[in-house]
Amino acid sequence: MRIIYKHIFGFLFFAFLVVAPLTLTVVRHVGTFIAAEEAGRSVDTSDYARAYRQIASKIGEEAALYGFYVFVLALIMAIFFSKGTLISLKGLRKGSQSVKDGDLDFVLPVTSHDELGDVTKAFNEMTAALREKTLELKKKDLYVDAMLDPLWVVDGGNKIVDVNPAFTRLVGHARDEVIGSSIYDFFDDYNEAVMRRLPDKEKDGGTSPVYETTVRSKDGSRIPVLVSGSTLYSGEKIVGHMGILKDFSEQEDLRSKLQSAKEYVETIMDSIEDYILVIDKEYRIIKANKTALMKASGPVIGEFCHVFSHDQAKPCWSQGHECPAQTVFMTGKNYRTTHQHIGAAGEKRFHEIVASPIKDPSGNVLHVIELIRDVTERMMHEEEIFNKNSELVALNSVSGILSRSLRPDEIFTKVLDKLIDMLKMEGGGIFFIDESGKEMVCQYHRGISEEYVKVMGRIKVGEDVPGKVAAIGQVITSPDVSKDHSIDKSFIKHSGIKGYCCIPIRGKERIIGVFSLFSFRTHHFTAEEENILTSVGEMTGMAIENIKLYEKMRGLYEYQAKQREMEQAQILSISSKLGSAIELKDVLKPVLEVIKSTFGADFAWLLVSDHEGNLAEKSASALIKHEGDIVYTNAVSSIEGYSAGRKTPTVIQDIRGDSKFYLAPVIAGQSYQSVIAVPMYIGEKNVGVYSLYYLGGRVFKEEELHFLRIIANILAVSIERSDYYAKAIAEKGLSDTILQGVADGIITVDGSGRIISVNKAFEKITGVPANEAVGLPICDVFRFSEENSDFRLSLGECFESALEGERGNREAVMSTISGGKISVLIDSAPVFDADGGVTGVVNLVRDVSREKEIDRMKTEIIRSVSHEFRTPLSAIVGMTEMILEGDIDDNRAKKYLSTILSEGIRLSNMVSDLLSIARIESGKETVKYKKIVVRDLLSELSESFSSLVEKKRAEIRFDVEEAAYVVADEEKMKQLLTNLVDNSLMFSDDGCIVEITVRDKREGLEINVSDNGWGIPDEDMPHLTERFYRGRHGQKIKGTGLGLYICREIVAMHGGDMHIESRPGAGTRVFLSLPHREAP
Amino acid sequence: MKKVVVIDDEPFILMMIEDKLRNARIDVVTLRSSVNAVEVIRKEKPGLVILDWMMPEISGIEVCRALKQDSETADIPIFMLTAKGQDADEQLGLRSGVARYITKPFSPRALLEMVQEVIGSDEQ
Repeated sequence: MRIIYKHIFGFLFFAFLVVAPLTLTVVRHVGTFIAAEEAGRSVDTSDYARAYRQIASKIGEEAALYGFYVFVLALIMAIFFSKGTLISLKGLRKGSQSVKDGDLDFVLPVTSHDELGDVTKAFNEMTAALREKTLELKKKDLYVDAMLDPLWVVDGGNKIVDVNPAFTRLVGHARDEVIGSSIYDFFDDYNEAVMRRLPDKEKDGGTSPVYETTVRSKDGSRIPVLVSGSTLYSGEKIVGHMGILKDFSEQEDLRSKLQSAKEYVETIMDSIEDYILVIDKEYRIIKANKTALMKASGPVIGEFCHVFSHDQAKPCWSQGHECPAQTVFMTGKNYRTTHQHIGAAGEKRFHEIVASPIKDPSGNVLHVIELIRDVTERMMHEEEIFNKNSELVALNSVSGILSRSLRPDEIFTKVLDKLIDMLKMEGGGIFFIDESGKEMVCQYHRGISEEYVKVMGRIKVGEDVPGKVAAIGQVITSPDVSKDHSIDKSFIKHSGIKGYCCIPIRGKERIIGVFSLFSFRTHHFTAEEENILTSVGEMTGMAIENIKLYEKMRGLYEYQAKQREMEQAQILSISSKLGSAIELKDVLKPVLEVIKSTFGADFAWLLVSDHEGNLAEKSASALIKHEGDIVYTNAVSSIEGYSAGRKTPTVIQDIRGDSKFYLAPVIAGQSYQSVIAVPMYIGEKNVGVYSLYYLGGRVFKEEELHFLRIIANILAVSIERSDYYAKAIAEKGLSDTILQGVADGIITVDGSGRIISVNKAFEKITGVPANEAVGLPICDVFRFSEENSDFRLSLGECFESALEGERGNREAVMSTISGGKISVLIDSAPVFDADGGVTGVVNLVRDVSREKEIDRMKTEIIRSVSHEFRTPLSAIVGMTEMILEGDIDDNRAKKYLSTILSEGIRLSNMVSDLLSIARIESGKETVKYKKIVVRDLLSELSESFSSLVEKKRAEIRFDVEEAAYVVADEEKMKQLLTNLVDNSLMFSDDGCIVEITVRDKREGLEINVSDNGWGIPDEDMPHLTERFYRGRHGQKIKGTGLGLYICREIVAMHGGDMHIESRPGAGTRVFLSLPHREAP
Repeated sequence: MKKVVVIDDEPFILMMIEDKLRNARIDVVTLRSSVNAVEVIRKEKPGLVILDWMMPEISGIEVCRALKQDSETADIPIFMLTAKGQDADEQLGLRSGVARYITKPFSPRALLEMVQEVIGSDEQ
C-alpha cells in the first residue's frame, strides 16, 4: 500500500478511535442526563452547568483514559507501521554505505510495494548498473594488466601516470617507482631523442608507427624493444599519451643468429670446390658459390642453368636430355646423376650432379640446389681398373682351366679360346715342338682353314714368327704385320692378318710350344697384354709339365698297386690254406712251394723250434732225409738261428764265405750261394724259421721283405695253433675216455642248457641214446615219462644254481625209459671260462638206488630189530622176572618157561633171517648141499612152530611122501619152511589150517604150503618177495617182511622155483619146486 | 577192588600181566582182540586200561582215541604197551590221551607199581 494511503488510513483510524468513544461517552452521559431529566428531576441551569461539568469531567476522565489507551495504541501502531519503513530505510542506508565502500554486489530485499519499495528497487538497479560498469572497467584493467607487452600512460608532461605489470617486469622497477617518473628515464639519450620526436609526428592523431629502440632496465641492461604509441584525447584536448613496447630481444637474437648462419653457409658454399647453384622454377640461377662464379666467363646469377652448365641456349630437357633440376622440381626428391659433356679441348668430361629441393612450408619445391662435381679423372681411373680387372679375370680363368683339367688337349683348346676371346682376336693356333726340338707342328687351331694349316702348320724352329718365338723364348707382337718391318719372311705377311702375336709355352727346362693369335684388324698390344700373354704361356707350360709328372706318378702308383694286389692275393691264399688245414704238415709243403716259386728260390724249408731252442725240420720243398729231425741244435750257430736271434729276415749273400755259420748237410751238400732266413715269432716267442736258398745271389727289395714278414706271421700263428690243436685233441681224447669210463651219468650242457655231450653211463642209466640226447635242452631229454616232472624240476634247479656259479645238488627219483624208477643224486657243477664267466654246466646223475636200498635196509633192519625183537624179549624178560620173583606157581612157571623157549627160538629165527639177508646181499651166501629127508625136517620144525600154533590154536597138517628127499642146504631149508609156515599162521585167523604137501617128482621136489587164512590182497601180490615188504597187513602184523624174500633167494640158490597163489579171503598157496641134484 | 582191562594179541603178554596183577589182588580182564574193546570197557568200567599198540584189525591208538571220545570211558586212564620206541611215537601216544607209555620189554614189577599208582590208592 502506498504510504499516503497508509497515512490516511491511520489518521482515520485514530480519528475514529478518538472520536468514537468520545462521542459515545458524551452521548451516554447526555443520555443519562436526559434520562435523569426526563425522570423528572429538576434540572436547573446550574444543573446544566453541573451536569455539563459532570459530564465534562466524566468525559474528561474517560477521555483521559481513552486518550491513554489511544496513545498506547497509536504508539503501537506507529511502531508497527513505521517498522516496515524503517527497515527499508535502514536497508537503503546500508546499501549506500556498501556502494561507497565499493561492494557493488549488494542487493536489497524489496519488502514493501510502496514508494519505499520503489526506492529500494531503484537503488538495486542503480547498484547493478554500477556493478556492470565497474566490471567493464575492471575487465579493461585486466586486459591491460594481462598484456604481455608493457604499456604506459603518460600525462601531458610525459610523466608516467600508469603502467601495466608487464612494464614493471620489463624494466625491473616496481610500480610505485615508476609512477610519476618521466618516461624518458627509460631510454638512453639517443633513443630519448627519437622518442621525443614521436609526439610531434603524432600531430595527425591516431597511432604512431613502430620504431626499434632500446630500453634501459633497472639493472642497467639494454633491452631491444619495438615501441608504438598513441595520443589520448579528451574531446579535443590532449590529456596524455600511451605507449606499448614489444620485447624484441628474442627476435633480435634470432636475427643476428640468422645473419651469422647466412654468413656461415655462404662461407661453406664458397669454400667448396664443386659448383653449387640454386635454381629457381624458371631455370635461372639465383645463387651461385664462388667456384661457380669464378668458372663462368659471363654472368652467373640470373643466367639459365643450362647456359652455365652446358653452354646450351635451350634447356636440356627440351632436347631430350635429362635435367636433374627438372626431375627434382617434378618429384620433389633428391636426385643424383652423372652427365657426360665434351670439354673445351674436345675431351670427355664427366660431371656428377646431386640436386636437392628447397621446399616451402607446404611442401612445394621452390628452388633446386645443384652440386656439380667434375669426376672425369675418377671415371678414367675406374675405366683403367676395369680394364685391369678384366685382364686379371682372364688370367684367373686361364689358371682355372689349367688347374681343372688333366687332359692336355682340353687345356690347349680352352686356353687358346680364352686368349682369342680376351684379346678379341679372330683366331689362332698352337705349335708344338717335337722331340728333336727342331720342328714345330700346329696341332690346335681356331679360325684357320684346314688347308691353311696343312700348308702353314709345319715350320722349323727359328723360322717365321712362331719359330723365332720358340727359339728366343720371348713374346713377339705386332699391331699390323702387313706394315711391320721387323717381321719379314713370314707367310702371314700378306694374308690379310694385321694384329698378330706369338707366345712361348714354357715348360720346366725348355719351350714346349707356341701360342699364336691373329686378327684382321690392327691391334695395339699394350704392355699389360704382353705381360698377360707371357704369364699364360708360362702357366700353360707348367700345367703341361705337371700333367706329364702326374701321368708318370700314376703309372708308378698303378704298378705298385698291382704288385700289392698280387701280394695280397698270395697272402690270402696262403693264409686260407693254413687256416683251413688241420694237419699242418700237409699244408706247409704247398705253402712253401708257393713262397719258393714267388721268390724264385731254389730251395725252401721251414724249421720249428722246441723249448730248448733246437730247430727241427717241419717241411721242405724237396725231400730230405730224416724228416722231422732236429737239424740244428741250440748249441750250433746256424743262419736260421742267427736270424731268429735278430728277429728279422736276414739275407746272407755268400753262405760259404761266412765261416761262422754251420750248414746242415742238406744245405751244405748243394751249391747254394745266398739265403734269406725269416724268423717266425708270436709275440716274444720264436716258433721257428723258414728260409729260401738260392744258387745265385739274390737281392731283396723292401716290399719283398715286407711280404715275407707277413708270411712269417701267418705261418707262426698256424704252427702255434696246430700245436695247440694237437694238444687239445690229445686232451680231449683223454677226457673223453675218462668220461666214458665213469660210472655216473654225465651230461655236459652249454650256457643255454643244451646238451653238448652225454657219456655211456648216462645212456645206461636213463636208457636214452647219446645221439638223441645231444642238442636237446637238458630237461627235455627226460620228458619221455610224465613221472619225471619232479625229477626235471630238481635237475633244473641244480642246473640253474650251476649257471650262477654255485654247485647244485639234489636227490630225486628218476623214471628210466624202460619204466623203472631209480633214486638218483644230481650234482651240477659250473664250467668257467678264462674271465670267470659260466660257459656251461657238467651235470652228474648218479644212480643211488643201491645206496638208497642199503639205507632202507638199514632202516628196516633197525626197525625190525627194535620192534620185532621186543615182543619176544618182553616175554623172555618179563616172564623170567616173574619166575624169579616167585609171582607164580610152578605150573605156571612151566608154561612161562616154554613160552620163553619158543619166543627165544622165534628171536633166533629172526636173527637168522637177518643174517641171511646180510649174507645174501654180500653175495657170500654158500649152499651146503646135503641129502635131507623131508619128513624128518618137518618134524624138527614143528617144535619151533609150537607157540605160534598154540597161540593161534591152529593146525598144521603134513602130507609128505615117505621117501621124499631133497639135496639141499639143511639150514636154509629149515629157514625156508619156517618162514612159509610162519607166514601162513600169521596171516590167518585163529583156528586156521596150514597144509604142507610134499611130492617127489622126477624133475624135483614139489612143496606146497597152503593156508586158509586171509589171503593176499591183489595190490600186494607183485611185491611179496621184496625185502621188508609187509603188505597191507604189515602195520598190524609183526614180522620183518624178509620172509618171502629169503624164501625166494633160497629157492633161487637151489635152482628152484617159487610162486604164490592167493585170493583175499580164500587163503594162500605157496608152490615150491626144487630140482634134484647129486649129493656131494 | 578196581579192575584193569588188558588188551594184547600176544597171549603170553596177557598171561604175564594177568598173573602179576592178580597176585597183587587186582582184577584183570584180558582181551586178545581189540575189536569190541570199547564195549567191554564200557561194561567193565575198569580203573585202568592197558593197551598194546600193534594189534590186528584195530590198533591200540585207535582204541585209545575211541575210549577218549566216549564220555563213559573218557576218564579211564590208559597205559600203552608197545615195542615202538621212538620219541615221536611217545608224543603221539601221549597226545591221544595215553597216561603212560610203556615200551617192551618191560618189567612186570615196574608195571605193577605203575598200575597201583593209578588204582591202588582207592580201595573202594
